[in-house]
Amino acid sequence: MDCREAQLHLMDAQRGRLRPELQGALRAHLDTCAVCSRAEAEEQVLTEILERRLPQHPASIALKRRLAAQWPVAPVATRSWWSRWGASLVPALVVAVVLLVALPAYFEHTNGVRKDDTSGMVREAVNNYLRLISSQHPLDIASGGIHQVKPWFEGRLDFAPVVSFEGDQDFPLKGGSVGYFLDRKAAVFVYGRRLHTITLFVFRAGGLPWPTRGLEAMGRASASASVSRGFNVLLWRSGELGYALVSDVDARELRELGVKLAGGT
Amino acid sequence: MGKGGGSGGAGNLGREALAYVDALHNLARYLTGSVQDAEDLVQETYVRALQADQQFTPGTNLKAWLFRILRNTFIDQYRRRRNDPTIGGLDTVDPVAQDAAHEDWLRDDIVLDRLRNVVAEDIEKALMQLSKEARTVILLDLEGQTETEVAEILGCAVGTVKSRLARAREALRQRLKDYAR
Repeated sequence: MDCREAQLHLMDAQRGRLRPELQGALRAHLDTCAVCSRAEAEEQVLTEILERRLPQHPASIALKRRLAAQWPVAPVATRSWWSRWGASLVPALVVAVVLLVALPAYFEHTNGVRKDDTSGMVREAVNNYLRLISSQHPLDIASGGIHQVKPWFEGRLDFAPVVSFEGDQDFPLKGGSVGYFLDRKAAVFVYGRRLHTITLFVFRAGGLPWPTRGLEAMGRASASASVSRGFNVLLWRSGELGYALVSDVDARELRELGVKLAGGT
Repeated sequence: MGKGGGSGGAGNLGREALAYVDALHNLARYLTGSVQDAEDLVQETYVRALQADQQFTPGTNLKAWLFRILRNTFIDQYRRRRNDPTIGGLDTVDPVAQDAAHEDWLRDDIVLDRLRNVVAEDIEKALMQLSKEARTVILLDLEGQTETEVAEILGCAVGTVKSRLARAREALRQRLKDYAR
């Protein structure tokens, strides 16, 4: 890899978007090239001060209230879609009706888990995430590291949250709080990813309709990946504990954190 | 909704669209340089989003879609204000920054340390000295939008985003050096 190519990839490397096969080549080049190494340092410092110190200008409460108050309550039909698509949809509707009748019976028979139950967990995770990021005080304890956050939960929960990933430069641990996941208390860990918030909910896993299909290996766990309302959600369980990881970062970055968390649980 | 909105439905657009109001407002604030103009721009963005909600495909990137609307709305307003005093055009980096000779101001650790100590107010001032397009691409990158998403928002090629971002960050570094001394 030459200097031109290396400097082309610096930003992608910092953003965690560089393909694995290029990462090694870039690192090898940076180890031996003072000019590119300096360029990397410059980019890092600029990113660091922008992420940590550039003033943010959130919308005023007045604007938020105004927008929320003026948001349409119910969908309004604006076009006659049947006149445009109806004829071509008839065969598809027939198939859909057959599937609607057959699939639920099949899944209940083979699995005992209904889709909307699992969807309920995903929905709960996203709702909790939105509640947290819109809160004026999302953190009960600001992070001084995992060894300050975890002991803080003692006496506040009826279980000990097992989370060994203490955060790193890519995913700093910002802090924690106590919340709820459906009908039970949850330990909430908040990680950062550039300007994004990533929330991990840890709760007792028993009695919940955990997904059993479409699981993907993630560290030592098998996780279910979902997208709901534009947010990515990872659900997995380890022993008696359940984990829900939610954010608006892209799926690959969320999975990267998921591997770190599941690898240590 | 507000200024002429409300005619559109929210067929494909749920209330979660409102979850991005802070990010939209932040970009609007850095584009307009004014709290009131930023609020108007955000409000107009949501009005247009609701009117065009049938064009949004559920499951795709809602945040990027809203950013694109905000950016297009801003451009429309910019074109109407022909006496805009902003340095440079929408699609340029400040020529002063471009013409500045590349200096060796970051060539030692002392300078890097000085840069780390630039205060928030000066970072904002330096950013506001860049062209609006440069500001936009830097802020969208900070918001975690990928180059592909930024390309969709700006309506240009991914390679263009890459070069614009590199030029914008270089221009910002040049500006920041004045505050780092």
